[in-house]
Amino acid sequence: MSETIQVTINGKSTVVNDRMSVLDALHNNELDLPSVCYHPSLGAIETCDTCMVEVNGEIVRGCSTRLSNGDNINSTAPHVKKAQDIAMDRILYNHELYCTVCDYNNGTCEIHNTVKQMKKDHQAVPFDPKPEGIDDSNAFYRYDPDQCILCGRCVEACQDVQVTETITIDWERERPRVIWDNDVPINESSCVSCGHCSTVCPCNAMMEKGMEGEAGFLTGIPDGTLRPMIELTKNVETGYNSILAISDMESAMRENKIKKTKTVCTYCGVGCSFDVWTKGRDILKVEPQAEAPANGISTCVKGKFGWDYVNSEERLTKPLIREGESFREAEWDEAIKLIASKFSDIKQHHGPDALSFISSSKCTNEESYLMQKLGRRVIGTNNIDNCSRYCQTPATKGLFRTVGYGGDSGSITDIEMSELVIVIGSNTSESHPVLSTRVKRSNKLHGQKLIVSDLRKHEMAERSDLFIRPSSGTDLVWLSAVTKYIIDQGWADEAFLKDRVNGLADYIESLEPYTLEYAENVTGISQEELIKIATMIHEANSTVALWAMGVTQHSGGSDTSTAISNLLLVTGNYGKPGTGAYPLRGHNNVQGASDFGSMPNMMPGYEEVTDEKVREKYEKAWGSPLPEEIGLNNHEMVKSIHDGNLKCMYLKGEDMGIVDSNLNYVHAAFEKLDFFVVQDLFLTKTAEYADVVLPASPSLEKEGTFTNTERRIQRLYQALEELGDSKPDWKIIMMIANELGADWNYDHPRDIMGEATQLADMFAGVSYDRLEGYDSQQWPVTADGKDTPLLFEEDFPFPDGKARLFPLEWTEPIQFDDEYDLHVNNGRLLEHFHEGNMTYKSEGIKAKTPESFIEVSIELAEERGLTDGTLVRLSSPYGAIKLKCLVTDRVQGKEVYVPLNDSGEGAINLLTSSYADKDTDTPVYKEVKAKMEILKDKGSSPLPKVNHRFGNPQPQIGVQVERKWARKDYLFPGDMVKKEASRFGKGH
Amino acid sequence: MAKAIKSIKKIELTEDEKRAIDLKEIEDALIDNKEALLETLEVVGHMKDRGVISLLNGMFGEGDRVLKVLVDLLSTPENTMAIKNLMLLVGALGRINVKELEPLIDRLNNGIENVADNEDNDHKTGYLDLFKALKDPEINRSLSMLLLFLKGMGDDKKSNM
Repeated sequence: MSETIQVTINGKSTVVNDRMSVLDALHNNELDLPSVCYHPSLGAIETCDTCMVEVNGEIVRGCSTRLSNGDNINSTAPHVKKAQDIAMDRILYNHELYCTVCDYNNGTCEIHNTVKQMKKDHQAVPFDPKPEGIDDSNAFYRYDPDQCILCGRCVEACQDVQVTETITIDWERERPRVIWDNDVPINESSCVSCGHCSTVCPCNAMMEKGMEGEAGFLTGIPDGTLRPMIELTKNVETGYNSILAISDMESAMRENKIKKTKTVCTYCGVGCSFDVWTKGRDILKVEPQAEAPANGISTCVKGKFGWDYVNSEERLTKPLIREGESFREAEWDEAIKLIASKFSDIKQHHGPDALSFISSSKCTNEESYLMQKLGRRVIGTNNIDNCSRYCQTPATKGLFRTVGYGGDSGSITDIEMSELVIVIGSNTSESHPVLSTRVKRSNKLHGQKLIVSDLRKHEMAERSDLFIRPSSGTDLVWLSAVTKYIIDQGWADEAFLKDRVNGLADYIESLEPYTLEYAENVTGISQEELIKIATMIHEANSTVALWAMGVTQHSGGSDTSTAISNLLLVTGNYGKPGTGAYPLRGHNNVQGASDFGSMPNMMPGYEEVTDEKVREKYEKAWGSPLPEEIGLNNHEMVKSIHDGNLKCMYLKGEDMGIVDSNLNYVHAAFEKLDFFVVQDLFLTKTAEYADVVLPASPSLEKEGTFTNTERRIQRLYQALEELGDSKPDWKIIMMIANELGADWNYDHPRDIMGEATQLADMFAGVSYDRLEGYDSQQWPVTADGKDTPLLFEEDFPFPDGKARLFPLEWTEPIQFDDEYDLHVNNGRLLEHFHEGNMTYKSEGIKAKTPESFIEVSIELAEERGLTDGTLVRLSSPYGAIKLKCLVTDRVQGKEVYVPLNDSGEGAINLLTSSYADKDTDTPVYKEVKAKMEILKDKGSSPLPKVNHRFGNPQPQIGVQVERKWARKDYLFPGDMVKKEASRFGKGH
Repeated sequence: MAKAIKSIKKIELTEDEKRAIDLKEIEDALIDNKEALLETLEVVGHMKDRGVISLLNGMFGEGDRVLKVLVDLLSTPENTMAIKNLMLLVGALGRINVKELEPLIDRLNNGIENVADNEDNDHKTGYLDLFKALKDPEINRSLSMLLLFLKGMGDDKKSNM
């Protein structure tokens, strides 16, 4: 706990918090202290020395000096100012001031602002260029050593926030500089292009390439003219004040042409929010903000740089209508009339349940709400689902069974602060990059322990304290064995179980078979390791479990999710900070798509369609009777088409023809539909089967809200005009509904949210006003606007407020004939998303990761004569794929790994089956076996040498400023003004 | 049976249709900005009369070359010095306290007037005239003021700070 203390600042007595640094204390009292290298999200770095301040007669760095009661601080004495001045001169020796023609002159340059703040008119040491030139090799950002002041913010961010550990400063060379790996060009290093370094750089040294020559009025001038202009500006300078005045004017003028819009990332479920800078339709850069609730200053390569798809030539700009062997562009009026008449026709002849609706986890909450309202209210069917059926429905099921809410128990901050993180079947650093940085950081710096259970040795496994590789589909067994062992040892949280949990006796009985011996036999994990896991959980004061598709996409996906929750209940790891269950949501709005009712059995806010009271509420509000029967889910829809019952499908924002399992079967179903409407940005594989394709607008072109994996609802604002005749999904759905006679009048997504929150109790207090800017709300939200960052603090949402232990039996994975001898694991890559429709539009990403591949183990490569580039065919009973091999130690033995980002001959779902989780119908994507044949012995590697996976990281903690201080030419500015200090001391 | 297809027949606008759309857009813009445009045209007319248009045309037509020449010209030492002097002068002007200077300037004007009135006077001033003149209150006040000014000018304020 912090306490208040009494200090004297510049002769004035004042009260401050004892946790504050001198810098904080001065800023809190609205006093200036230069602080060029300090960044609130990075803390004290101590490289720039501009925050020189006197504390009790001694000159110190204000950023890193804590205060004690009675301290006497002086920040204004001439010798203190002189010490600050010396530090600033050293910065200007390293950085050429040409603000007006600098792309970074946007009001946030720390150097510009500090020169102005210090009223510095001249520099004592002239600027001196550094020996090396600009490193322009990376596609997304460039490094200019001549502008670099060696503050080390980029190093701190790379080493200790992102924890990729690529960037360091070589302090020992004559002119120190930032280096990548062991001093290679950026593009050949382990850099993952997450953008942290360019985000935190205080000036234009590390800069996004989208900004270059674009941001300023004079910055696009060709080099031949620009250089003399810089020289001219410098030569006529009569002091910096007049120069800075002109650059300030220019900077103010830029506000007029650069638009900064807050948006929420459209890729994974972490829910990063940031400002996007646009000029016309050009995206200059993505600028994360410290206040962003989920990510702060963090991004990954997709969120920071992966936006080219928005301006892709391939975007659809007009509705398309199938006519013979091709599509014909049409006007909206014709397309909507055609859709309405077909929908009515099919409904009239075959009944409402011959129609189906698939909502998108890419679209907004408001759009999900409208889609289910269209299906239920206008057509009269509950045949509505969304793509979380393919990924996280089993996790939701497991949580509903045990704790009552189908979402993450807490926030990313809880994961960050937990003492033990257990990651099961999640390639977190590639699938949820920004969330994984919090775990990597806590593990590296704060002693957090990490257990990883996975088939593949991915980055999280490399970093873990304990890595186990259970046989595929056996997680439930080791989880149950560990839980049983904990109970047998008397390590269960008795008080928690007694007060807050039901069903203990039955559950303990159900654990009977899960002995350590049995678990060892089934999973292949040794009893020692199982005991070690149990001991680590026992010894940690708080534990969180993160899981993803490695758990859910199995025959017993819901059961394994339940087993995780059972373990957390037995150990009391719910309802306290730093605890809980975290099924990591895959898409930006997987959570919201289900939350807002795009499910065959649930209305918005997870109220059952079979509950008469619930239906009555909606019938009253919507003014018409609603269907009573549970509808078809995605999986059942495909079967129902084959059975001849489902005739029509309206699908938005989902490339089901690539991402559903057993594609040949799904494609055959599409061909049988009487009428198929697809709404998307591109002519996707799925859209190729459509009768009408409607051009939708992506997140940057509309308003609305997304809900991230933390149950956090966040607003996105419109950054760009809609491209061509494309429209936001909510407008399109409304056009169709109104053509069918619905008479909807939503002017703005705000109106849709207003209606949803009046009906769904879970979101009662959600409002656009409370979500202004970077504000957010985590459901459930009570009517007064109070949200719930951490669930279950008081009780669980069951009638008696108690959680439920749920007995389980292990379901064996699907068995294959012996000829299918390779287990085909599959999943994500950091740099591509899903089927790749968006990320393959980025030239920069494509250059480093041009195609999908098959990861094969060193053992398998030796046995079959495979090398990087060998072209092979994998065949399962359901289909075949053709890809090149990549030999790696990330996989072992007869297990291969295929990234899911290919939409051609390498599409993984040509191999997968129609088997599904027994409780939720989520396809068993992870239960695939195949045989391999070599098609071509030699070929070029599918992964270029410049891919970050071939890099050579250089882990260290922070920037290692001590190495700077140890240089012979380094003098502490405080020591250089000692003479003045003693004179000052005598005079006072 | 709907097989997967990829080809798209775009709505092809004829040249005339495209032209009609473009013209409509321009027409709308003209009407929306009627007042501003008419006034601008008047300005443009004046510029044409003065030859400004052809001057600008040349400059913008060769934008980068002209800018390069301009920058090169300004970069010669004399011009750099001139700009520097100009900026210094502007700075110096900013520091002169015109309020305090005002009475002095009034008197200076009086003096100049006096001289101008007696321009043809070829009277020679001897030592005795000087001493006599000291008793003249107007001259005495002027001299005292000058002495104060000289003293102020010699005082190095900065070094005493």
